[in-house]
Amino acid sequence: MIIERILIALLFLSGFAAIVGMRNIIKKIFGLNLLNASVVLLFILEGSRIGNQAPILDADITNMVDPIPQALMLTAIVIGVCVSALSLALAVRLYKATGSLDIQVITERLQREH
Amino acid sequence: MDTLSNILFAPVYLPLLGAALILVCKSFFKTTIRRLAEYVGMLIGLIVPVILTLSLRSELGAGRALEAVAGSWAQEIGIIYRFDGLSLLMILLTAAVTIPAWIYSRKVGPAHSSFTALLLVQNAAIAAISMTADLFNLFVCLEVMGVVAYVLIAGSQKGSAVYASFSYLMLSSTAMVFFLLGTFGLYRLTGSLSYEAIAQSLAAGENQQFALICLILLVVPILLRVAVLPLSLWLVDAHSKAPHAVSALLSGVLLKIPLFALVRVFSLVPDSALFALPISYAGAITALVGVLMALAQSDAKKLLAYHSISQIGYVVTAWGLALQAGVHTQAGALLLSVSFFHAFSHALFKALLFLAVGTATDAGANRNVYTLRGASRSLKREGERLPITLLCYLVGALSIMAIPPFNGYFSKNLLTYAIKGGVHYPMLTMAGVGTVASFLKLSRIFLPAKEKEETLAARLRPRFPLTLHAGLLILALLCILTGLFAPETYAFIAGLLSAQPVQSYDAHFFFTSDTLAKTLSTALAGIALFLFILTKPGAWIFHQLGRYKARFSDLFFGFALALALLLLVARVL
Repeated sequence: MIIERILIALLFLSGFAAIVGMRNIIKKIFGLNLLNASVVLLFILEGSRIGNQAPILDADITNMVDPIPQALMLTAIVIGVCVSALSLALAVRLYKATGSLDIQVITERLQREH
Repeated sequence: MDTLSNILFAPVYLPLLGAALILVCKSFFKTTIRRLAEYVGMLIGLIVPVILTLSLRSELGAGRALEAVAGSWAQEIGIIYRFDGLSLLMILLTAAVTIPAWIYSRKVGPAHSSFTALLLVQNAAIAAISMTADLFNLFVCLEVMGVVAYVLIAGSQKGSAVYASFSYLMLSSTAMVFFLLGTFGLYRLTGSLSYEAIAQSLAAGENQQFALICLILLVVPILLRVAVLPLSLWLVDAHSKAPHAVSALLSGVLLKIPLFALVRVFSLVPDSALFALPISYAGAITALVGVLMALAQSDAKKLLAYHSISQIGYVVTAWGLALQAGVHTQAGALLLSVSFFHAFSHALFKALLFLAVGTATDAGANRNVYTLRGASRSLKREGERLPITLLCYLVGALSIMAIPPFNGYFSKNLLTYAIKGGVHYPMLTMAGVGTVASFLKLSRIFLPAKEKEETLAARLRPRFPLTLHAGLLILALLCILTGLFAPETYAFIAGLLSAQPVQSYDAHFFFTSDTLAKTLSTALAGIALFLFILTKPGAWIFHQLGRYKARFSDLFFGFALALALLLLVARVL
């Protein structure tokens, strides 16, 4: 259990570092996806503490996982996909407007516009 | 019971239905039907829910609330919506800004039907936020509201608007991941997601420290949407680069809704009151810093955006003090009502200012406060016969400067009266001085230009869009009405927000010699400050301030700082 948690924490941190530190906006979006994925994994891991079978009601299911985190994460994944799609669309717009994907170059060129 | 729950869900379902109708008609029909669908969608999505919820007014107040479960599931597993006085007020505030802003946008854009559909989706999300009694549902609705906001900001298609939208999206989505972590923590601790069950379980349990950390993870992302310092760096670009109608909405509605939804999240954890005081200090600092930065701006819409930060600081100050006193106590209910009253006035006058200044700067094709002059003449050239834009601007500016008899005077004075005696009071008074000074600075855009006046042939004038004036006039009228009937407006808000009968204020209360002397001295100090900016050293100081531009990483630095500060508070206290 502890190893999984450390791995999830690493995933979370690398996502955050990518969002803040990477200059390429596509990599920033990847970072956001990593961040989302790490929290999803955390919820699923937590739900599996009390059982190990899929939460499908059947006669011979005895120790199923907690179904609520799974239901929540399904929603969170959908939201994550929406946000990624929108951010990629914005990235394309930014590239068309400034001809670059580098956040510093983008800000400089946008400032020169004025 | 069944009709009741239908009415409760109407503010969420009907806007979605309206949006669906508009989008279907957009893809299958030609212009006329598309247009018609927009009006029908707006009617069933915005106006009908407001009327329906207003009809529930008699059931509310005195701490009562109505409950319903979505999709007639059992109480334990369904999503519970609780409709109380605060929900009704939030829905009314949203409608009061959305309808005029939409009317304004009819001719000057963004006037496509997906804009109307987006507005409706946003209204559905806001109604759901105002009513939900479930942490995860709050997360979903906040994300829906956020996604619509990102799309709306990027709507003007300019590169800088897209950049503003992108950085807001990255920051806010990252913050929402932290919100999810907080939800996770509370779910682990209590095994439930509904507010009531969490509060019950936490009141009994130990583990208070862990619960507090989870609360911080929930509070900071919401305060980010509210734009309290140091979380407000994203706001300036987003609000100033968006289309005018969107700016009005962002600043009028989207800043306040999360703040008042946070009232309920706060009540989950027993010791949460210890964060309330630091947040109220942050609010007072926000009010002061916001106005100083506003004074330093040269871009008209940026100046207004910094004023949004400053005014939300006022609201947050009273809000924090209310939560510290406890919203169920007499003093807390008073402070919360005052806070909402100012939020409501600010929503009206700031929306009005964004629309009026936007119209003026568009007509002058210039947004620089120092170089744009003679805006009313440019408006005349555009075909405006009566100086309605100027008059509406004046209503908004006098409201924000707290000059009677407009609504800002009443709400600001009531707010400063309610917090009198604390450290916050002098800070907010100073912010009031700065507000007067910066609006004197902004008002210069309407001064006559130096160049010679050319005469315009009346028949050559283009027609000025009627809907634009209608949008402005509705907001100006609301500003004047909530000012003239300020005691009644306040009594309405306080009656919905507090469980006990509240003290009401009559008109005399607002016009004591003390209050009038304070208003006069604030105005005079504001004029003095304005004159100081015009001098060489003053201009130099504010020019240096105005050069600050938030970089992408600064936004995240502010977020980390806010998290760290609140964690520190939790450790120390």
